[in-house]
Amino acid sequence: MIRLTAFLFLLFPILASAAGGGHDSGHGEAEAKHEVSAKALPLLEHTSWAEWLTNSVFVAGLVTLGLLWFFRSAMQRKALIPGPKQNFVELIVEFLYGQVENIVGAKIAPSAFPLLATIFIYVSVSNWFGLLPGVGTIGFSSHVGALHSTAHVATPLLRPGTADMNLTLGIALCSLIAWLFITIREMGVWGTLLHIFGPKGGLKGGLKYALMPIFFIVGLIEVISILFRPMTLSLRLYGNVFAGENLLHTMSSLVKSGNATIDFLSSVLVPLPFYFLEIMVGVLQGMVFALLCAVFIKLSTTHDEDHDEAHEAH
Amino acid sequence: MAILDQLGIDYPKIIAQIIVFGLVYLILSKYAFGPVTALLELRRSRIADGEANLEKIKENLSSSQAQAAAALAKANAEANRIVKEASDAAAAIAEQKKQDAVAEAQSIIAKAKEATELERSRVMDELKRDFGRLVIDTTSKVTGKTLGSEDHARLNKEALAQIAL
Repeated sequence: MIRLTAFLFLLFPILASAAGGGHDSGHGEAEAKHEVSAKALPLLEHTSWAEWLTNSVFVAGLVTLGLLWFFRSAMQRKALIPGPKQNFVELIVEFLYGQVENIVGAKIAPSAFPLLATIFIYVSVSNWFGLLPGVGTIGFSSHVGALHSTAHVATPLLRPGTADMNLTLGIALCSLIAWLFITIREMGVWGTLLHIFGPKGGLKGGLKYALMPIFFIVGLIEVISILFRPMTLSLRLYGNVFAGENLLHTMSSLVKSGNATIDFLSSVLVPLPFYFLEIMVGVLQGMVFALLCAVFIKLSTTHDEDHDEAHEAH
Repeated sequence: MAILDQLGIDYPKIIAQIIVFGLVYLILSKYAFGPVTALLELRRSRIADGEANLEKIKENLSSSQAQAAAALAKANAEANRIVKEASDAAAAIAEQKKQDAVAEAQSIIAKAKEATELERSRVMDELKRDFGRLVIDTTSKVTGKTLGSEDHARLNKEALAQIAL
């Protein structure tokens, strides 16, 4: 609830600014207000071909390399009697596979597991990356120019990947495509359409045909909700992580006594409890994202009674 | 569009992030999930095989134990039978030997009795002869005359008649 309130509180100025037609680049305003920028910022500012290389893309790359290194080193000499790293990886994979299998079922689990597990691991690690020292505090500033570290930098060198709508939206779009692929492979095109628009609840006879228009309208609403899924998934994750970044940033600079020692100590001690909160939130958000995707897959690949009867008739 | 700009949503950046996420997906699928799930499946199947083998070994063991127990019981019965036969045979042999020994002893006793009788007869004959000669010698010395063969025969006859038992 606190996080949601913080997120809405932080999102409100953005929406208000957007409604007012503001097109600020994010550098100057954020620096002036000493806030965390709502968007990821390009590292090579005056290079048009490298606009895509933002601080969050940079961190996403680092996270990717880190995961590559860890999993390669863990599985390089895989053995039936595992070492500590392999054991840890097996623990994660076995736990996640069990969870995915419980939700989507044993038949769909092999095809859905890699994507869902990747979402969970990648989102969780990206979220936790934001808690490392230097993230958001090492970067470039207009009045200094060179790379430096301070409480307020205009363009941080490191920004958590999940604090960038582009990443969260990208993952959500990938999950939508994967959902569509898995659903059509399991149900077929006609089965998918029937699942969305067809009559439900095992209706038969005249009532079935009488209620068909209503089910068709319900199907249209369902399609709209499906199309909104990427937005809800990505905004939920982005909002939580961005709010967390702001929370930590605000807590770090909460006390301004004028005494350098007190300011320093408070900047360390005040955000400390929130770091533990963010550790929990980081893995929780990864789990929520993956679980929602799993539930979406489960809902769309569940054969209803009519469908089962048709299968049995065949 | 303003909200998209405020949140920094931009197609090249989305594509860049999708590529990064896709790389992570491929890497984890190739180097983590695939090998680990295959390894877990291998281990699961090995454990299942091991359990099946264990059950088979247990069955074999119980079967072997039953066979061993049956063989042991059979061997015991055979051994008891052999021991009993041996015991019976030994008893029969002992009885035979005992009978033989008794017969032998009786034979020895009979022979000893016969020998004793012969010895007694011989000693008696010798005694009679010595007694007769003693009587003749004594009679000759007492009477002072030389006794003839008729006298000898008469004296022997009378002496023997006196000591005839």
